[in-house]
Amino acid sequence: MKLTIERAALLRSLGHVQSVVERRTTIPILSNMLLEAADGRLNLTATDLDLAVVESVTADVTAPGAITTPAHTLYDIVRKLPEGSQVELEYRGGEQRLTLSAGRSRFVLACLPREDFPVMAEDALPHRFSLPVADLKKLIDKTRFAISTEETRFYLNGIYLHVADGKEPTLVGVATDGHRLARVRLPMPLGAAGMPGVIVPRKTVQEVRKLLDEAEGSVQVSLSDSKIRFDFADAVLTSKLIDGTFPDYVRVIPANNERLLEVDARLFAEAIDRVSTISSEKSRAVKLIIDTDKVTLAVNSPDSGSATEELAAGYSSEAMEIGFNARYVLDIMSQVEGDTVRVSFADAAAPTLVQDGGDETALYVLMPMRV
Amino acid sequence: MSIRLLPETTVNRIAAGEVVERPASAIKELVENSIDAGARHVDVVLSGGGIEYIGVTDDGAGMARTDLELCIERHATSKLPDDDLLHVAFLGFRGEALPSIGAVSRMTIASRAKGASEAWQIGVDAGKRIPAKPAALNQGTKVEIRDLFYATPARLKFLKGERTELNQAVEMMRRLAMANPEVGFTLTHDNRVMLRVPPAPGDLFDQRLLARLSALLGADFAENTIPIDAERRSFRLKGYAGVPTYNRGNAQQQYLFVNGRAVRDKLFVGAVRGAYMDYLARDRHPVLALFLDADPEDVDVNVHPAKAEVRFKDSGVVRGLIVGALRNALAAAGHQASTTVGAAALGAIRRDSQPFRPSEAFAEFHRPLPGGFGETPQTGFVYADTPSARIESAPSSTAAPVTEAPQEARFPLGAARGQLHETYIISQTEDGIVIVDQHAAHERLVYERMKKALTDKGVARQMLLLPEVIELDPVAASNLADRAHELAELGLALEPFGAGAVVVREVPALLGDCDIRGLVRDLADDLAELDEALSLKERLEDVCSTMACHGSVRAGRRLTVTEMNALMREMEATPHSGQCNHGRPTYVELKLKDIERLFGRR
Repeated sequence: MKLTIERAALLRSLGHVQSVVERRTTIPILSNMLLEAADGRLNLTATDLDLAVVESVTADVTAPGAITTPAHTLYDIVRKLPEGSQVELEYRGGEQRLTLSAGRSRFVLACLPREDFPVMAEDALPHRFSLPVADLKKLIDKTRFAISTEETRFYLNGIYLHVADGKEPTLVGVATDGHRLARVRLPMPLGAAGMPGVIVPRKTVQEVRKLLDEAEGSVQVSLSDSKIRFDFADAVLTSKLIDGTFPDYVRVIPANNERLLEVDARLFAEAIDRVSTISSEKSRAVKLIIDTDKVTLAVNSPDSGSATEELAAGYSSEAMEIGFNARYVLDIMSQVEGDTVRVSFADAAAPTLVQDGGDETALYVLMPMRV
Repeated sequence: MSIRLLPETTVNRIAAGEVVERPASAIKELVENSIDAGARHVDVVLSGGGIEYIGVTDDGAGMARTDLELCIERHATSKLPDDDLLHVAFLGFRGEALPSIGAVSRMTIASRAKGASEAWQIGVDAGKRIPAKPAALNQGTKVEIRDLFYATPARLKFLKGERTELNQAVEMMRRLAMANPEVGFTLTHDNRVMLRVPPAPGDLFDQRLLARLSALLGADFAENTIPIDAERRSFRLKGYAGVPTYNRGNAQQQYLFVNGRAVRDKLFVGAVRGAYMDYLARDRHPVLALFLDADPEDVDVNVHPAKAEVRFKDSGVVRGLIVGALRNALAAAGHQASTTVGAAALGAIRRDSQPFRPSEAFAEFHRPLPGGFGETPQTGFVYADTPSARIESAPSSTAAPVTEAPQEARFPLGAARGQLHETYIISQTEDGIVIVDQHAAHERLVYERMKKALTDKGVARQMLLLPEVIELDPVAASNLADRAHELAELGLALEPFGAGAVVVREVPALLGDCDIRGLVRDLADDLAELDEALSLKERLEDVCSTMACHGSVRAGRRLTVTEMNALMREMEATPHSGQCNHGRPTYVELKLKDIERLFGRR
């Protein structure tokens, strides 16, 4: 194998795939990435056995071939090469060494044979549809903060993607950690009808989101009930899905919360952030004291003192007090796009609904705290 | 095969299996008889781990010939005068011990009743009586057992080695000796004295007890204990509990006596662990000896033939009493760290310092510290010429400048004199020096503050959007449901969910996105095993202690004298500041007289 490629192009592709490779692994080949050169293209593949990314980039290939080499080392080297340099990669069969030359630098990297590199089985992925990049970005951004990190409830460690029937069928993304929930609804794309509900793991969500940053147009999504694939222009990401049952979340979304509070989104978020400064605890509890056309935020911390701030708001129901984890409120507020946010309550111990004044498709549910 | 009544010898052998399972239990029965007989001295002589020979001689009330002949009958006792099992005031009462032992060994009992002019002796050989004959003996009783279990070869086979049986016997004697400080005990094995304690002096039980405990547990124990004295309803708890830094790797040295009877009870183990939880790592155990006096009506000792277990009418009160009394005592002991810590430090210095041959280690100790404490480095040993390192002047970069503050030396932790390696604070007290580990000390202070905040404010609870249903066995589920109120105070709200499941609706906000299922399972285990919900508290305190660790002054930060003094004043004012969260000491005190000893001045 022998090829020449421009540093910037190689770095961009390596950047996409290297984060899939785990820093510590017990199987040596898993810290490697697969390089395949043929027909004027270099394909880079990285996998952690649950997730594989293949990125393709044009290169000047003089001799086709394939080899695996340590992913993070290769990435770090290319990153440190001077801008604008031409990188030459050469592998001669038999000696298990990959030579990388650029300008006057020369690196010899240890290799492992490509035959040992794990390949994710190609399953049939019967459901196929295409999603605009902007829509998929929105779906991920507005839900992923609510993904649970607690491994024991593995079925919450991802975004639940499914189709909801109704007057206008929708494609729905949901995430929850049992304390709060975020849901985004998109118009159902052609071809998604009849797809199974699937849970896309957190790491996959992160990698897809990264690839979306530089993508344009739309992304092809194909899935079965155990795998999902995202086809980008130059990259393909294939991932296993979480084998579990996502809880019946629809019933925890309150339908009859009648006490409606409308407040300026930016001012509300800033005020919450300000008053919660006083609490050094991990669980920063903020109390909302809501009365006619105003809301008072209060934080009390036994060691450092207390803080209150009053905000003008639209509210005409019965006065009430309710506590929340300030961090959870801020997580939601950072996804709100509109000028106002609509918060509706049933009582101080029931799920609270948060809706974005500027985005009807997103919805958040937050469970109060008892303080 | 037709049903028939078993002959008496067989019945006695079966009973023997329950009452007497090994030499130690035979010794226990005999010594308890001696104590019940009002003995002042009990001598126990063993041979072959007690399997070959056990001899127990006392100077108690003794028995007349008629009593002697009756005492080897089954269910014959002098200790239940009104046949009232609810008011058991003696150690024994079942009347099973002597016939049971007699059924499986060769036993002779010689006794001379108080005021009697003659002694009599009677024997039993594997259940067969040997008629009474006169004997020579002072007042008291002497019971001799030879070839224990020779009549039940199966049991004999299952005895452990001589050594193990002997260790069990010694441990049994220690318990008996602890419970009865006014009685003197000796235990001799093959002519070697294994245990000898004289009757402890003193008019008050407490005095006698402390003397006896230090004789048995070591002199250290007396210096590192806190007296316990608490009462609740009809229960009274006395005894001594070790300070947390005086700990052990196993729970062997934890003794509970209920009405003078040594008892192993899970309630006790759980209560002790709960009380010390905060101060000790999970694998370290405190040393303590507690005596619970209860109205015989409130405690059932007739649960176990060997009486190793008891049952309380209201175990909640007893648990509360033990935990409360220990917590209060520990809180009152405040910042006390064990004296053994100081002794260990001295030992570490002294071990290598032979008076006339200063070794490397001693020279190391003696060499002026880098940049600090006096003289310029000298070559060779300076041991003979300069008998003390000068600590008065500390003009260096390592030691912070010292202002003279004589009044501060009167505080228990003294006045800061300097900081070594930017980690340890050296302070001078009226009669010694104190070395404080600044990180450990500050960590503990921050931790205590957080814990106080947690108690004052209550645990904030995050309600769950998706309540978690947890399947358990029905007993565990109902145990948890019974304690739901207590758990709710700690931030965990749960309810029963059908039989064999609970549903968790709220969790402590502090724990964040946590493994609720694992937590509840652990709690169920705790309740089953220790009758206390420790896991939840432990987890909350784990979070606190991690945060405390991050929020405290690290080793390697230079402190000013004002900061050092402030730290020590706060340590004095804060309970439990003598050990860090893992039971390690936060400071070491060296008394002046110890230091003088180091230099051979004493």
